[in-house]
Amino acid sequence: MTDQAELGLFIYGIVPSDVEPTPDAAGVGDPPGEVEAVRQGDLAALVSEVGLEQPMGRPADLTAYQTLLDGTAAVAPVLPVRFGTVVTGPDAVQDLLSAHHDRFAEALDELEDTFQYTVHGRYDEQELISEILAENPDAAQLAEQVRGRPELESREARIRLGEIISQSVELRREAENKQLVDAVGGYARHTAPRQPSSELDAVNVAFLVGAADEDEFVAAVEEFAEQRRDLIRMRLLGPLAPYDFVSAHQLVE
Amino acid sequence: MTIATTSGGAQGGSALERGGGGGGGGTLADVVETVLDKGVVIDAQVSVAVVGIQLLEINARIVIASVETYLRFAEAVDRMSITPKNQKGLPDLVGDAAGAATKGKAISGLGKAAQEISGAVADSLSNRGTDEERERPRRRRDGERR
Repeated sequence: MTDQAELGLFIYGIVPSDVEPTPDAAGVGDPPGEVEAVRQGDLAALVSEVGLEQPMGRPADLTAYQTLLDGTAAVAPVLPVRFGTVVTGPDAVQDLLSAHHDRFAEALDELEDTFQYTVHGRYDEQELISEILAENPDAAQLAEQVRGRPELESREARIRLGEIISQSVELRREAENKQLVDAVGGYARHTAPRQPSSELDAVNVAFLVGAADEDEFVAAVEEFAEQRRDLIRMRLLGPLAPYDFVSAHQLVE
Repeated sequence: MTIATTSGGAQGGSALERGGGGGGGGTLADVVETVLDKGVVIDAQVSVAVVGIQLLEINARIVIASVETYLRFAEAVDRMSITPKNQKGLPDLVGDAAGAATKGKAISGLGKAAQEISGAVADSLSNRGTDEERERPRRRRDGERR
């Protein structure tokens, strides 16, 4: 990148104006940009300079973005701004903050002392299929036709078997997600279902949890996981910035 | 903080793996899934100052119901041993006695795991704030405000 390269400001998130980036906070880009706060009244945006000709979205960029936002969320409320949002300069950031001041301020108030936790579970394929074959005679029969036979000869049976399993997983997933929300949602302020990210996904739900309820929430998730330990590989991601709890259309009038 | 990776199984007897948080410990897949297509949208409709930049194409989406998925499931069935473990469909041959034994075992296993879990939680909560000092903004104390 030359010194003449055109620069823009990459926006990470919106925070109260008393948030101060630490000097070593690393931004997106190569080399990593220096993260600064652009303030406007009681709001600020965390930003760093980026060269406009540099494609954005390398793994390191995504990780830097999440690291910064999660780190911020640990100490102050933050509204994540969608990855890849770049504006022309500090003036544009200030215009943006003043134009939507009330909405941003209100959202930050609601997010004070909260964190996102994402509960993501995947079925153990063997356990899952064993259970499905055990409870579904049609599937068990098809399994007999399929086993040990070349795919070309048994293709039709394979597709029917796979479809039964797939539908069964979908029903289980729906039930599992509901049970998760029933079991742990009481410790969360808000719940946001997430799209499954693989065909073996069992649960995938984001929760917005108040700091005071964190221990109880985690304990409840652990109990939920314990009850399904052979069937589902359960993971708890967090505390995170509230990625799933800022409306995607917040700014569209 | 307990950090989980995708390569390991459930660690330390806990049925729940911990990850993410401060961007630490999460895999790239986690990061992509967590942050992509999330967050406040500020587009040209809202502000003319928004600059379009080139985003590398990141394919995070998968198609879940497809013939490929069906065939993959069927292949998984094919790979499994003829008698799947924990065969619940086995007619009453196994009988009540075996059932009771399995139950007892599961309960004692659960007690042990529960103890380990509570340890893991205390650990991960108390460590927060000490191992994530880097790369994050701090909040000024009131005294520093102006």
